Amino acid sequence: MTATQTPAKEVVEPNSEDTEFVFFSGKGGVGKSTVSCATATWLADNDYDTLLVTTDPAPNLSDIFNQDIGHEVTAIDDVPNLSAIEIDPDVAAEEYRQETIEPMRALLGDEEIQTVEEQLNSPCVEEIAAFDNFVDFMDSPEYDVVVFDTAPTGHTIRLMELPSDWNAELEKGGSTCIGPAASMDDKKADYERAIDTLSDESRTSFAFVGKPESSSIDEIERSASDLAELGISSQLLVVNGYLPESVCEDPFFEGKRADEQAVIDRVQSTFDQQALATYPLQPGEIAGLELLSDVGGVLYDGEEATVDVDAATRRATNEDTVDFDSFTDGDAVAEELVPVEETRYLFFTGKGGVGKSTIASTTAVSLAEAGYETLVVTTDPAAHLADIFEQPVGHEPTSVGQANLDAARIDQERALEEYRTQVLDHVREMYAEKDDTQIDVEAAVANVEEELESPCAEEMAALEKFVSYFEEDGYDIVVFDTAPTGHTLRLLELPSDWKGFMDLGSLTKGAAPANGGKYDEVIETMQDPSRSSFAFVMYPEFTPMMEAYRAAMDLQDQVGIETSLVVANYLLPEDYGDNAFFENRRAQQAEYLEEISERFDVPMMLAPLRQEEPVGLDDLCEFGADVTGLDGVGEDDREEVTVS
Amino acid sequence: MTQLTLYEEAMCCSTGVCGPDPDDELVEVSAALDQLENEFDVDVSRANMQHNIEEFLETQQIADLVEEHGPSILPITVVDDEIVAREAYLSYDELASTLEDSPDPQEA
Repeated sequence: MTATQTPAKEVVEPNSEDTEFVFFSGKGGVGKSTVSCATATWLADNDYDTLLVTTDPAPNLSDIFNQDIGHEVTAIDDVPNLSAIEIDPDVAAEEYRQETIEPMRALLGDEEIQTVEEQLNSPCVEEIAAFDNFVDFMDSPEYDVVVFDTAPTGHTIRLMELPSDWNAELEKGGSTCIGPAASMDDKKADYERAIDTLSDESRTSFAFVGKPESSSIDEIERSASDLAELGISSQLLVVNGYLPESVCEDPFFEGKRADEQAVIDRVQSTFDQQALATYPLQPGEIAGLELLSDVGGVLYDGEEATVDVDAATRRATNEDTVDFDSFTDGDAVAEELVPVEETRYLFFTGKGGVGKSTIASTTAVSLAEAGYETLVVTTDPAAHLADIFEQPVGHEPTSVGQANLDAARIDQERALEEYRTQVLDHVREMYAEKDDTQIDVEAAVANVEEELESPCAEEMAALEKFVSYFEEDGYDIVVFDTAPTGHTLRLLELPSDWKGFMDLGSLTKGAAPANGGKYDEVIETMQDPSRSSFAFVMYPEFTPMMEAYRAAMDLQDQVGIETSLVVANYLLPEDYGDNAFFENRRAQQAEYLEEISERFDVPMMLAPLRQEEPVGLDDLCEFGADVTGLDGVGEDDREEVTVS
Repeated sequence: MTQLTLYEEAMCCSTGVCGPDPDDELVEVSAALDQLENEFDVDVSRANMQHNIEEFLETQQIADLVEEHGPSILPITVVDDEIVAREAYLSYDELASTLEDSPDPQEA
C-alpha cells in the first residue's frame, strides 16, 4: 500500500537530530489516549524510538496495549521501538511533598511536620509536582520523539503558563505562592529550557483531540487561543468519533450525523492554519494493536477507516434489548433534589461537554414548576445559560421568564474587580487606624495591588462570589451549574484549605481573620446531605466515569462531601439506530451504567440523547418531566420551607 | 550595607495577599520592608520554613532556637547576625529605629 503524506504526518514526524515532542490536549472521553497511543505506535512502526508519557489520573494504557505499565518506563512487548510510562499525579504530588518536608525533619517535631504536611496539601503543590514530571521528560535524548498524553486541556494550559509566572516571581527575588523559591531556583534552568522547547515549533507539536460537537470545538478554540497568547500555536486537530455514514439508517441518526458533519465543516474553515484529521466512532472501544494501527493509518497515511461491526467485541449477543429504565428510580432522584427543611443547594458537576448546563437548567425549571423559589447559577465561564433559557442572564440573579425562577452567571472579571476593591479597601482601612506610623500608605497599597495580579487572586475572586450565593436570601433551592470538575474541586476545596491556613496561622499569630466563620458555615452546609446535593454528570463511558469517580472520591476525602446523585446523559434512544452498530454501543452504555451504579451507589438520573438539546422554557419543562422524577411533585404536597 | 533577615513560619505567601482576606500583619511587614530598603542602606531578605528551609539549617543560632522552642519562636528578626526580635514582627517604626541605631559595618 502506498502511504500518502497527510498534513498530520508532517506535524508529528520528527525531522531533526534533536528529540521532538508531541502533546495531545483534550477533555477526558474524547479519545485522547487512543489518539496518543495510535500516534506513538505509528511513530514506532516507522522506526522512530518513541516514548509515550501519560499523566492521566485514570490511565487506560494497560487496556489499550494489554500489558501492565505503571510508574516506570516500560518497553511495550508487541511494538519494537516503543516505551511507555503512566505518571500518577497523586503519587507525584506525594513524592514532591516528601522531598520538600525531608529537610525540615531535622528542625521540627512530628506534630509540627504534620502541620507543614497539611499546608503542603494544596492545589498549588499538585500543579508544581505535575509540571516537574513533565519537565523531567523534556530531557530525553535517548528517544527520537516523546508523545505526551497530557492532563485535560485547562490543566495543561495552566501548566504551560506557570513557568513564565514562576520565572517572573523568581526574578523579583520573592517567594512565590506556588512553591519553594529556593528549590525552584535550582530548577530554573530546566524550566527555562522546557519553555524554550515548548515554544519552538520545529521541535514541539501541539495537537488537540475533540469530538464533532460544537461545545468540544469551542473549548478547543478557547484553549488554542490561550496557548497562542503564550506564543505557542497548535498545529493539529483530530476530530474523533464521528458517526460513520453506513450505520446511520434512520432520520434520528442521519440528523445527528448531519450535525456532526456541519461541525467538521466549520472546523475546516476556522482551523485553516493547522492540519485536520478525523476518525470515526467504532462499534466498540478502541483497544489492541490492530485498531490502533487503523487509527494511525487513517491519521498519518491517509488510509480509509475500517468500521467492522462483526469484529468488535460483541457485548449484547445473547441478551434482550437493553433496558435503561431499570437503572433509575424517579422518586429516589426527586428526593435528592427537593428541599428538606432549609434552602437546598444542588451542585451539578462534571467535565465540559457532558451537558451539565442543560441538566442543571432543566432541574431548576422543574423545581420552579413544582413551586419552589429557585435560583440557577453558573460559575462556568463557558456556560451558555442565556442560550439555554433564551433570556439574558447576567452577573446578578434575574428572572428568566418563569415564575419562581431566577438565573445568574458569575462574570469572572467583575468578580475579580469586586474582590480587588474589597482587598484594597481593607488595606487602606487597616492603615487608617494607625495614624502615628511613618509608613507610606500609598506605596503599601500599590504593593498589594501588584500582588493582586496573580492567578491566585482570580481563584479567590471566584471563590468569594461562589460563597456569596450561599448568602442569597429568598430561595428554596440554589442550583449550581459548576465549572468543569477539576476547577470545581479546586474552588470547593479552597474553603477548607484556607480555613486550614487560617487555623494554622492563628496558632502562632493569635488571631484568625474575620472571614473564617463564613467559610466554616459554607463547608458545613456543603457537607450536610439534607442541605446540599452533589450530582456528577457524565456519559456512560470509561474515561468520563473514572474522572467523575475520582473527583467524587477527592470531594469525600478532602472536603468530607458525599455524592448524592449521578446523572448519566446522552443515553442512546431505543427507538432509533436499529442495527448491530448501535446495539453494540447501547450494550456498552448499559455495562457502564451498571458499573457507575456499583461504584457510586446513589440514585441515578438518566437522560437520553435527543435530536436537539432542549432550548427555552417549554422544552426544558418537558425534558425535566422526563428525567428529574419531579413530575407530579407540586405546590399541594410540598411542605413549607424555612428559607435560611 | 546592613543585612536584615526575617525568619518566618511555613507559609504559602509571605506577601499576605493570598487568601479570602489579606493578612494585615504580613501586608504591613511587606510594605515596611520595601520602604526600609528604599530609605536605608539595608539588604532585606526573608526566609520561611516552607520555602527556604536550608537557610534555617545553615544558620546555627536560628536552627538551635527553632529546635528548642518549635516554630512558635518565629518570626525572628536578625540585623547583622544579631537577633533583635522573636515571636512577633516589628513595625516599620521599630525596624527603622533599629536600623538607625545599627552601626554601619563598613564605617566601624
